[in-house]
Amino acid sequence: MRGALAPLAVAAVLFAILPMGLSMAGSGYLFRLADVTLIFCILSLSMQLITGVAGLLTLGHAAFYGIGAYTAAILSTRVGLDAGLTIPVAGLVSALFGVLIALPTMRLVSIYFAVATLGLGEMIYVTLLNWVSFTRGPLGIGDIPPLRPFGFDLSSPLGTYFLIAALAVLSLLIVHRIAHSYYGNALRALREDDQCADAMGLPVVRLKIEVFAIATFLAGIAGALWAHTTGYVNPADFRFAESILILAMVVVGGLGSIPGAIVGAALLILLPEALRAIGEVRILAVGLIMFLCILFLPKGLFGEVAALDLVRRQFGAAWRGGSAARPLGWR
Amino acid sequence: MFDRFDIFFVQQLINGFSVGLVYALVAIGFTLIFGVLNVVNFAHGEIYMIGAYAGLLAIIFLAPPWVALLLLVLAAGIAAGIALERAAFKPFRRFRDEASLKSKAMRESTLLSSLAISIVVRETVEKIFGADMQAIPRAYADAMQEPISLGELAIASGQIAILAAAVVMFASLQWILKRTDIGLCIRAVAANPLGAQYVGVHVDRTVIATFAIGSGMGAVAGLLIGLYQGTIFPAMGFAPGVKAFVAMVMGGLNSIPGAVICAIVLGLAEAVATEFFGQGWADLVAYVFLVLTLVFFPTGLFGAGRERV
Repeated sequence: MRGALAPLAVAAVLFAILPMGLSMAGSGYLFRLADVTLIFCILSLSMQLITGVAGLLTLGHAAFYGIGAYTAAILSTRVGLDAGLTIPVAGLVSALFGVLIALPTMRLVSIYFAVATLGLGEMIYVTLLNWVSFTRGPLGIGDIPPLRPFGFDLSSPLGTYFLIAALAVLSLLIVHRIAHSYYGNALRALREDDQCADAMGLPVVRLKIEVFAIATFLAGIAGALWAHTTGYVNPADFRFAESILILAMVVVGGLGSIPGAIVGAALLILLPEALRAIGEVRILAVGLIMFLCILFLPKGLFGEVAALDLVRRQFGAAWRGGSAARPLGWR
Repeated sequence: MFDRFDIFFVQQLINGFSVGLVYALVAIGFTLIFGVLNVVNFAHGEIYMIGAYAGLLAIIFLAPPWVALLLLVLAAGIAAGIALERAAFKPFRRFRDEASLKSKAMRESTLLSSLAISIVVRETVEKIFGADMQAIPRAYADAMQEPISLGELAIASGQIAILAAAVVMFASLQWILKRTDIGLCIRAVAANPLGAQYVGVHVDRTVIATFAIGSGMGAVAGLLIGLYQGTIFPAMGFAPGVKAFVAMVMGGLNSIPGAVICAIVLGLAEAVATEFFGQGWADLVAYVFLVLTLVFFPTGLFGAGRERV
């Protein structure tokens, strides 16, 4: 019974308390802030899967987010596709690019992989910026229709919020199930020592490509949500700085920890907004928070060990199952 | 296509060569620091930017003669380099054994900390000076734009200055590394930090010296480019920093001559790409080179390549 408590609490906050509070405040700005925070939660969760769990430091995550946003924008403005279709298609296109990029780069380790993803991310940015006939270049694409999937009108602030919250919870579930399974343990083995994992018989390159595909799929979904809720996409939103913002969320929250990714995303979106009175200090605040965290909290605000403890106590059937638990094995 | 090989094209190649020299100037410091610590210093581009801004401040407030200007910027770069080492790299060298000095965690935490420092520095400069381009006063900027004509070709005096600076820096770095005590220490630490410590090399001091030398060179490069282009802006360090990194990876990470050659090749390739595809797409060249190098020559074109990439 206790196992159901924490998920119920999360659901109650996300689907009852928060929307009720936001509706009572009745402010479009607060709704927008909640939407952006949830979109970045999806992004930081997906990066957590690559960087935190599988240990692949990527510096080009915003590019996949951008591919998702542009796919949704182009499909809905030029083809007139329904938002219920553009969102999954954006995820798939982004995952396709993820696999294409992963195939050559997954043989690289640590710094080299980081820099290769930086280069590929910037390549995607340069393409978005310069392929004017397709992406309208620096002008960006405007007039993206709001969220009306399959005839349901979710374009009101509350409806949009519910859709984004539902998708965020869905990606939380996906990432959680992947990270806290035998599959997730295999990914952690790659992070700790991929040569050793290889020697133990894990298909290292395949695992890396699979996890990259899953994470870029989620990033593409986040991009599509961004495109539909903002109504306008511009290459500058998907630059290196954005990748660093997502990375900072993961690092600040704690590498490898799923609650950490959410805490990090909420902190780095909401804190600069709260500091808005002082001036436009968003990126400066991100840099400072990230630096202080690396220096004083190398494990992050919500470190992996603490997070695993929490999961074991509140969510974990796999650890409690006793002898009748599912058979051991990495999958 | 051959009708493109006219005088204009040669002119473009010369411009590309000088752009390549700019990358080389940045890459020298970058490679030096990587060679010693085995970590990527993401804040090197910001040192370059600090050099340019220090030069601007010196010109506005002091209007010094050229030699004094160079020395001031060199000093600013050295100070910035030492501060950077203290803030972003020293705290992560708590453990002395070789395993942690070369470990993945150490590399990635310094990568992230230098990245964070670079964001903080860039944003702070942006808050102080504004994000816009700032013009260098004409009296100084014009000296870099005097045309020197060689037959039909025109070369700006700034391009000569950049070439001269690259040659002087490269030569002096080789002299420091091969002929002085501190150079010997640097090479010793680069080869084996623990072994160097056993035979009495002061590793911390050597690392600081490396940062001072590399950053001083980066700052002077920033000043020269700022003067040559006539405008400076807080984000100016990003593009040369990334391209210098590409040159370093192509050159094989530890090889300074390799990085210089690859930087020049990169500059030439960008000039050719600009000629055929336009300015916007030319930015792709560096990234394409980077990915191709990493995929097909993971140890670089000039690297000894013992390490696993």
